[in-house]
Amino acid sequence: MRRVSVDIGGTFTDCSLVWDGKYVEAKALTTHQNLALGFNQSLQNAYEQIGLQLQDVMEGVDSVRYATTLGTNALIERKGPRVGLITTAGFESIVPLSRGRGYGEGLPDRMQRDLPMAERPDPLVPIQMIVGIRERIGEAGSVLLPIDAEDVRAQVRKLVDNGVQAFVVSLMNAVVNPEHELFVEDIIREEFPEHMLGSAPILLSHLVGGRKGEYARTSSSIIDAFLHSVMYHGLSTLELNLRDNGYRKPMLVIHNSGGMAQLNSTDALQTIHSGPVAGIYASEHLAAQNDLGNVVCTDMGGTSFDIGLVVKGGVKFYDFNPVIERWMVNIPMVHLVTLGAGGGSIARYDRLRETVAVGPESAGSDPGPACYNFGGRNATVTDSDLVLGYLLPDRYAGGHIQLSEKRAQRAIAKDVAEPMGMELVDAALAIREKVDNDMANGIAQELRARGYEPRHFTILAYGGNGPLHACGIARVLGVQRIVVPPFSSIFSAVGAGNMDQMHIHEKSVYLSLYDSNTRALLSDFDGFNAIVEELEARGREDLLRQGVAPERIKHRLELDMRYGNQLAQTAVVAESNRINSEDEMLDLIEAFSRDYGRRYGEGSQAPEAGIRINTVRVASYSEMSTLELRDVLPKAGDSAAAPEPFLTKPCHFVDVDGAQDTRFYELAALPFGCSVQGPAVVLSEATSFLVEPGWTLRIGRYGSGLFERAA
Amino acid sequence: MADDVKGGRSVEQFLKDASLFLAPDPEIMENHGLEPRTELEEACLAKENDPHRLGLVRERLQAGVNESFEMLENMGAAPGAKWGDCVSAMYTASGDLSIASSGGVVIFCNLVQYPIKFCNKYWAKERTVGIREGDAFIVNDSRYGQAHSTDQSLFMPVFHEGKIVAWAGATVHEGENGAIEPGGMPGTAEQIWDEGLRMSPFKVVENYELRRDLVTFLQNSVREPKLQYADMKVKLYVCRRVEQRIKEAIAEYGVEAVVACLRNNLEATDQEVRRRLREWPDGTARHCWFTDNTLRESVQIKINLELTKKDDELTFDFRGSSPEFTNRAINSLDITNKGMLAQLFLTFIWPDLPRNQGVLSPVNFIFDPASVLKPSPLTPSSQTMMTLFTAWSCGQVCAMKLLYSVPEKYTRVVAPWFNMINTFMFGGITQHGEMVGNVCADINGMGGGALADADGQHSLAPIFATMADLAEQEFMEEEMPFVQIVSKKLMRDNQGFGRQRGGMGYQMILAMVDSPMWGFMLTAIGAKFPNVPGLFGGYGCPTYPLARIQGVDVFEKFRTDPGSFRFSIEEMMNERPYPEATYSTHPMSLPFHASKSGELYMISQGSGGGFGDPLERDPADVARDLDEDLISHDVAWRVYRVVYDRETLIVDLAATEKARDEARQERLAGSRPYKDFCASWSKDKPSGKVPYFGCWTDKTRVHAGSPDVTYPASQVNPPVMMAHPMQVRIDALEAELAALRKAGGQS
Repeated sequence: MRRVSVDIGGTFTDCSLVWDGKYVEAKALTTHQNLALGFNQSLQNAYEQIGLQLQDVMEGVDSVRYATTLGTNALIERKGPRVGLITTAGFESIVPLSRGRGYGEGLPDRMQRDLPMAERPDPLVPIQMIVGIRERIGEAGSVLLPIDAEDVRAQVRKLVDNGVQAFVVSLMNAVVNPEHELFVEDIIREEFPEHMLGSAPILLSHLVGGRKGEYARTSSSIIDAFLHSVMYHGLSTLELNLRDNGYRKPMLVIHNSGGMAQLNSTDALQTIHSGPVAGIYASEHLAAQNDLGNVVCTDMGGTSFDIGLVVKGGVKFYDFNPVIERWMVNIPMVHLVTLGAGGGSIARYDRLRETVAVGPESAGSDPGPACYNFGGRNATVTDSDLVLGYLLPDRYAGGHIQLSEKRAQRAIAKDVAEPMGMELVDAALAIREKVDNDMANGIAQELRARGYEPRHFTILAYGGNGPLHACGIARVLGVQRIVVPPFSSIFSAVGAGNMDQMHIHEKSVYLSLYDSNTRALLSDFDGFNAIVEELEARGREDLLRQGVAPERIKHRLELDMRYGNQLAQTAVVAESNRINSEDEMLDLIEAFSRDYGRRYGEGSQAPEAGIRINTVRVASYSEMSTLELRDVLPKAGDSAAAPEPFLTKPCHFVDVDGAQDTRFYELAALPFGCSVQGPAVVLSEATSFLVEPGWTLRIGRYGSGLFERAA
Repeated sequence: MADDVKGGRSVEQFLKDASLFLAPDPEIMENHGLEPRTELEEACLAKENDPHRLGLVRERLQAGVNESFEMLENMGAAPGAKWGDCVSAMYTASGDLSIASSGGVVIFCNLVQYPIKFCNKYWAKERTVGIREGDAFIVNDSRYGQAHSTDQSLFMPVFHEGKIVAWAGATVHEGENGAIEPGGMPGTAEQIWDEGLRMSPFKVVENYELRRDLVTFLQNSVREPKLQYADMKVKLYVCRRVEQRIKEAIAEYGVEAVVACLRNNLEATDQEVRRRLREWPDGTARHCWFTDNTLRESVQIKINLELTKKDDELTFDFRGSSPEFTNRAINSLDITNKGMLAQLFLTFIWPDLPRNQGVLSPVNFIFDPASVLKPSPLTPSSQTMMTLFTAWSCGQVCAMKLLYSVPEKYTRVVAPWFNMINTFMFGGITQHGEMVGNVCADINGMGGGALADADGQHSLAPIFATMADLAEQEFMEEEMPFVQIVSKKLMRDNQGFGRQRGGMGYQMILAMVDSPMWGFMLTAIGAKFPNVPGLFGGYGCPTYPLARIQGVDVFEKFRTDPGSFRFSIEEMMNERPYPEATYSTHPMSLPFHASKSGELYMISQGSGGGFGDPLERDPADVARDLDEDLISHDVAWRVYRVVYDRETLIVDLAATEKARDEARQERLAGSRPYKDFCASWSKDKPSGKVPYFGCWTDKTRVHAGSPDVTYPASQVNPPVMMAHPMQVRIDALEAELAALRKAGGQS
């Protein structure tokens, strides 16, 4: 296998290069003005490690894959075109009103509960750029009010007069009958052909999302339009760069749905959060190859803590209405939760509860924790870690940041210890215990809400602060095993190297499997199968267009099902892609019942209220070869002697009285299979592994480690 | 007394044994504060007093409650559950609300304390009932502790080693409950038996299973048997999840830590509220406001409030408010008023506080008995919101006045939030053949009040919930046989004017499209008197009528004359595009009305109050509102006195300043000494043009409809009994007929 996969983040461009069994990781600074420069640098940093030349790589590599957070940054910075929205008359305010709750989407609880402070985010489409047209499609697709061509022309002209640079057309019930959206597109092209307006993209909502829900679908389309040019130009630059350097195959872009596709088959919206999603897929692959069972992926950085779930057996967790930055959308995205907990999270005295509170406010990286000495004065989690002894002031972030113990001590004393009447170390321990507890509760809530018990999971810990806090989180959850994955500092890039080419198509339906009023079961199997066939055909077409051989194309059928009129949408993976008999239908009902019972409690199923299918979703994919990670972690028989620590010094631990002599090791000096007993700290360039008392760390390959708790 | 005791007998025992039935217990219902510490709580608090450890337990429990709330929202079948009109919570063994879910409606769980306490007091030792592990109880009767009878709560004891150590509860605004009108909130209820199910707390779950016999009875009592069954099951499993998390916390931290944590939450909140109140200036703020309709007739119902802050306590004194209405549904119970005011503190004043009932512990309430805010047990209250929300807004105004000068605030001072349920209810047979009765999510689209430094947010959230959802119309249409032709479109000039303007509400135009039997109803006030005032010189919200167009099928018109429809209430009513149709406006109260296909019903959600003098509004903000078509040129000039080019909207700042100066001079010219103003403004009694209820100047005496007769507050005799509107109409027509006959010479 010869493969390049890259994760372009806000700060670093991470590169994973696999070349005939050699695995190389590299980083370079992201170059926002021209992403290709950062890409080239990170790739160079990679191939030089194994003595290759650029030309060798470009001509020999089988695929180049990208995950990127560019879209998120563009949204935050509001860098995008002037988008105009054409919607059904009478619905002009759906976007400004954002279903009411839009003020709080993407914000922590505390802010959601504060109505006087509630403010909706600055709009991507101002009210002046929204026009309503005279038309109306009914819920089942009939035309209630015919569309009026002259009215459409007038409204389009109004947008053009207001300087529109991208059109979004989102009309009521267009997913059932797209006739009017297509009509509007024709008029725009007729009135303002490309040679007049330039290339103003036109996004039709029914092509962005196949599900009902006019606000979320419109919002999805707007974000797609807003990001279209920045993503298209950014990624096109990368593709041209590859061409210039001799790469002749298509560039593949990672999607947040858990697959990937060529650039020309990628919507901008599908790339948001694709980096963290790739990390989850890398975790899934690692778990499968090393028999880790159920895994919760945790990425703890400076400001946030991301959680993803990987469950044995290929169960997928999607968010059907994920929030992107501050907006709800309705594309299916791999489930990912972000908590406001990181190294920069600010600690303070909570007067009401007479204890310490941590986050969600963060000192970020600028000014950063007090110990950075960059001007930050608030006590943070990193200050606490320093005071407790885990961090070496001259070795933090690969030695790039010199930490000030004095500033950390002062900040904790001022913000926490003095108000609470505690000793400095006790205050630092309280901060640590609190943040670990918060993260553990976040994980527990995620898992338990889906019917899983945390203690049955392995924690995968990555990100700059992940391995430093993993034991603390595991202690709260009762988890016995933690894995720091290989290449943990570029883990998302590794994940990008493991994904399949995939497209998801879905359709809203009102399909009753069991009507409890009439006690009738679904009998129109042909109608159901026709919907599936239509979605499979669209997926197949997508993959064929990208050169995938027909025989390699597979389809996975997922059905969002519910009892009665519930909101719950349990995504059930169908064992068969067609229903041809009552037996097969009962299989499906049983599969739904199993999933539902696991999630909400056995016995909570309510078929008496009827069973419905709300969405038919087909994931069409082509499996690709994956990285070999089978022997990365040490197994029972693997062992080696650990060298002497380069330092032993006292550190403090939660639930352990007094300072403990703690051994410090260099990760690079520890051979595969050797064991390190806690308390210990293992330092690498990117992070520190904290082995708390009662835990043992066994060293794996490529910077990985396996923590196990003493029985 | 000793004389009464003969051979173990006593009069007290006889009376107890011979009780006709167990009505709501005043000892329980009158106490909104914390129960005294139990022996177990004392012991646990003595053993577990490390705040840090208690904090860890609390977060564990909070995560469990939040998880259960997520279940409730997802599994719930009622529209209310899907839109956030629900809640789950943990209670102490005594029944005090200790941990509410982070999302959801505080008042709901605040009120569940009462039925839990009822069960503890009466059913625990009752041999025919008892409280055992695996039991759960249901309640919807507001008199025992619910906001109104459309809400249903299920609650479950949590046992440890044979003793109750906590309770778990879940509440959903279910909607349909078998009342005289569909949807669970009948506006025409004249007696409590018109209000549908009246479930006093009773056991409906044993051994963690719903009793099918009782479920069947309840299903037969409502129009939506599917909903009744499905959501009972949902609430049961939500409670089970809460119970499971409590038991896990006990296993990990010990029962002492969990019990101590639940109690400590309450006491810590009580202490923090007192500490914050001490920072408020001592003093009294006063406000009165009016409910303009009983949902059957136009009236003036006075809500009278004096809010006094002294030391570390607040007192809401509502004496002098209107007497109760014996046969109208707009009475609101005192417990409901208290519960809503908990929402005021936890959302609009101290949103950082934990959501438990400790927040109300330092707050006192005074109501006149038999008043509209503390009605007698047999008065209906299914439309409690009509007076409850007026009272709540009085509370908001007074609190903001006191809060304005407090140095440390925990959120911003805000003008009154729009407070009315301007939304349609519906009932009938759907296109899928199901009988339903419920309410549209537009109930959540209340406009936000203006702030000192910012305009209010348009249609943001209801006063009773955060992160509530306006829902997606495509989903609604898929299940219900009506179309919102205009769904969410902000209505021009629908604004609480001010230096900062209130957030605006949106208009709705809807029509039934595909049903053999369908109807709409509307239960709101504010068509004649605005629902909320402004603050510090800001204007209140406008008034809102119901507008209807009958005698036309708009869908037929769409086919035959597609260009004729107008996409706003203003244009439809002013331009009247269908000559053959009947156009009418009404108060915002529409009894359930069988609808014909294509007839139009039109209303608007409301605006929050404005903040400060409109003449101080930044002219650029006025121009922006013009550009966004939120205000008309008329308002820009008449209210805001802004001069600008109508084509370009470029403001002439000098001319604007001049115009505003002139307006101020006009105000000064019309001014007079306060004494003179009072002399000219004050009247000795109500005008009598509209029936008036409540005190005039002396809060110890109240009017009961007549301008000339007053009664001691709480002693109105005979009680207020309104005539049936249909009878009033018949009487008027008969009088008219008699007059015509007389004029025509007939006998």
